[in-house]
Amino acid sequence: MAQYFGTAVEDIFNTMEERFLPEGTVDVDVTIGYNISGEGGGHWKVTIKEGTLKTEDMDGEVTDCTAVLNANAETFVGVTLGKIDAGEAFSSGSIKVDGDLTVLIAVLPKAFRPFKPVVKASSIVESVEERFRPEKAEGVDIKIGYDLSGDGGGQWTVVVKDQTCALKDVLDDDCTVVMRMEAQVFVDLNQGKLDGATAFTSGQVKIDGDIGAAGKSSSLFEKYVAEGAVEEQGEELISLKCVPSINQRYATGPLMGTWFNGLKEKKFYAAKCPECGRTLVPPREICAQCRVRCNELVEVGPDAMVTLIDVVYYASPDPLTGKIRETPYTALFMVLDGASRDESFAHDLNPRDIDRIKPGMKVRPVWSEKRTGSYKDLLYFEIAD
Amino acid sequence: MEISYENTKNCKVMTGKMALPNQYFAGRVGSKFIIALRDENKILGVRCEKCDKVFVPPREYCEKCLSKLDESWVELSNEGVVMNYTVVNYNDKHLPRRAPYILALIKVDGADTPFPHIVEGIDVGDVKVGMKVKAVFAGETTNTIRDLDHFEPV
Amino acid sequence: MGKRNRNVGIIGIGQTEYSSHKEHQNQVEMVNEGVRYALEDANITLDDIDCVLHGNMELFEMVHQPDMWHSLGSGAYGKDQLRITTGGTTGASLVCAADNLVASGMYDVVMAIGMEKLQEGHTTGGITNMADPLWFRHLQTGALTATTATMMMEEFGEERAKRAAMKYRIMMDKHACLNPRAHRRFGLEYDQTDDLMNTSPQLVGELRLIHMCSQSDGACVMIFASEEKAKEMCKNPVWIRDHITVHREETFNNFGIEMPEMTHHYAARKLFERNGIKNPVEYFDVFEMYDPSAWWGLDWAREFLLLKDDEHIKLLEDGEFDLDGKLPINPSGGVTASNPIGATAMLRPAEAAMQIRGDAGPQQIKKEVRHALASGFGGTLWSVLMMLEKDLDWQEV
Repeated sequence: MAQYFGTAVEDIFNTMEERFLPEGTVDVDVTIGYNISGEGGGHWKVTIKEGTLKTEDMDGEVTDCTAVLNANAETFVGVTLGKIDAGEAFSSGSIKVDGDLTVLIAVLPKAFRPFKPVVKASSIVESVEERFRPEKAEGVDIKIGYDLSGDGGGQWTVVVKDQTCALKDVLDDDCTVVMRMEAQVFVDLNQGKLDGATAFTSGQVKIDGDIGAAGKSSSLFEKYVAEGAVEEQGEELISLKCVPSINQRYATGPLMGTWFNGLKEKKFYAAKCPECGRTLVPPREICAQCRVRCNELVEVGPDAMVTLIDVVYYASPDPLTGKIRETPYTALFMVLDGASRDESFAHDLNPRDIDRIKPGMKVRPVWSEKRTGSYKDLLYFEIAD
Repeated sequence: MEISYENTKNCKVMTGKMALPNQYFAGRVGSKFIIALRDENKILGVRCEKCDKVFVPPREYCEKCLSKLDESWVELSNEGVVMNYTVVNYNDKHLPRRAPYILALIKVDGADTPFPHIVEGIDVGDVKVGMKVKAVFAGETTNTIRDLDHFEPV
Repeated sequence: MGKRNRNVGIIGIGQTEYSSHKEHQNQVEMVNEGVRYALEDANITLDDIDCVLHGNMELFEMVHQPDMWHSLGSGAYGKDQLRITTGGTTGASLVCAADNLVASGMYDVVMAIGMEKLQEGHTTGGITNMADPLWFRHLQTGALTATTATMMMEEFGEERAKRAAMKYRIMMDKHACLNPRAHRRFGLEYDQTDDLMNTSPQLVGELRLIHMCSQSDGACVMIFASEEKAKEMCKNPVWIRDHITVHREETFNNFGIEMPEMTHHYAARKLFERNGIKNPVEYFDVFEMYDPSAWWGLDWAREFLLLKDDEHIKLLEDGEFDLDGKLPINPSGGVTASNPIGATAMLRPAEAAMQIRGDAGPQQIKKEVRHALASGFGGTLWSVLMMLEKDLDWQEV
């Protein structure tokens, strides 16, 4: 298909229906003929009547319309895209109109939204090497796979290594990450019509492999700008980035102090409510249900029974260090031996047990070699075989 | 084990730290103010006709009568008057200068509201209420109010 | 009941659009937008307001006294102002506080502002710092857990539970698509159920990305007046009948061998008992629920409506929570659609009140809405539950 300025003549007629504005043509009753010569040309008849549109692909020369436009394909596309001055094209005779010229001037702008070139997924992918930013790729070694389905889809692998970028038109088996979506979704994402997080959350984009790499990969490339399109200059909006940082000191009081010192001795202490008898772990001074002060500490555990298991896949940053936790990891809810049945204790599971852990299992604590009376003394729990 | 709340043997202090990344947006009105400081070394305010007040820094709506102000820009003088001041005598990492330095409320000519800024070029003991000062703009931008680096005596 | 000194009516509601980003506004300007809409809605001016309440999440934008800064746009200049920050329940607590202040006779007209600009802060970090710093802060990683999903799959079977949670999620999206202010409007269809429940990325266990609430920017503002003032100033005030706030210890000890009564259930039981509500599903015409995830939304319907066994799942499966069902849930689209956290719990009574007024917009329930229920949620299980009425004709119990 012959293209001019990245657009085929057909594209303009094929998009008429979606660009049509019924409210602008309530009192209109016209037919417009198009005879487009040259490669990619053809004959079309457009009927606009009282808010309705009919576009017909004709076999031969169109005559007998309110207005008939005759032009070669390049001129017609150029004028439609605003690349060729319409006035000059008329004056120079490269566009000729038979019949009522005012129809084109008065009716068309009200009947249609302006034509925007159709961007193809392949044009976006194929420009990836030109858009590569080597300065952002220091130490990056990834293979990004694209698996785009539907009209205009295809499979590609982008290899980024040693601050170079290479495109292959196959999907490699060993990609760091593969992004799968409809080709149109890919186009919309790259043109800013669709927000990445929205597309991902709503399931329009599926990511196999390293999600983190998918997120980082966008900074490796300049934004795609369609051929001929002018990037819109937004107004400058100032923002201030900062990391407010506060050092803190917390007093344990006698109960939590005893808890921490207990960890040093590999012991768990619970406060026991003198009214209801429940054990509070870690120890709390007041039983919030009976609203009385506890006056006894009892030792519970160290083994426990698992009640609930949370396998965490979401890589959340530790706000204190900014480090991303390794995923998946497993959070356990459990009842320590000797603790009351409605009081669970939460901690992490030894990663080696992630596939075997089940509710009801017995687990035991694993302690740090060097214990100082801090939360770091307790590493995690593991299945007690 | 009986709990003795008077026995402080086990009491200790645990340290913590909170450090969270934030970003704040100045908005359209605030951005115009900062960009004018940065690119043109001009101090812009907005006038509320109804309250007959000129606010600086500018705001989108009048805080008293809710009139929309973002079209009523006024260019203010780079000179003003010290309305009040304090001398900062301690050092901390978040402070913009080494102590001692002068933090003053300055009302630039043409404005009705003073704003806080640093006064330099004078001994901290010599600053006075009513003193005339002028703005000195920063060589390097931070895209903040500190693109106006400090004020100094006229 | 019986302690209410005088009745309180909702006379104005203002909401910004909810969105993931608002670079064009600073916090003050966003608050101001909500305030202007509320005053416009009530057809009054700042002169009519006696007191301003302000609420957002502590730590989320890391501004120490946001109510002070925001007074440049909140209208608090020259008026009494209080700040309320009770975590996820903030928005609901603001409404409770406004009601208490007006009912007590302290003020005649109170304006309450809930706001959040989550784009400006670090939500997960903020939440982590709310856990007790001695012990739980070191274990907590934000507000994500799949314990409810696990328990529901255990109770109702994996397939039915997963399908029901996804139906709930898609229903919420359908409601959100009608609501012009809603943040996330995906256009999900029920035939995507199988695909989404199996392929949406897992966050924690069976809690998947699609199930979880959004992070939004926005402000919600409501104006409250005494019965006398409300009748004088407003054609169709919506009346606050009663509300209850229930807290549990701020720890992670809720998942033992025996589960304690959930705060939501306790709140509903107490509130309905003292108001003589025997069958909440029959009585209420709409329920706006604080549903941070699809799993929680569905599970909590059982708690708040005092349902047994799988009654809540049946109601969902039968379409009774749809806009044309017996008890529509979240015509607004709920929290999975829009979640400006300090305002989120206020969006619930705000939407419920608009449903009663009949001017909620495209998501308006077709049949008459006379009795509305609205909930708030926060922390490690705090509940606020509130009843709104169209007419002042309820029976004292």
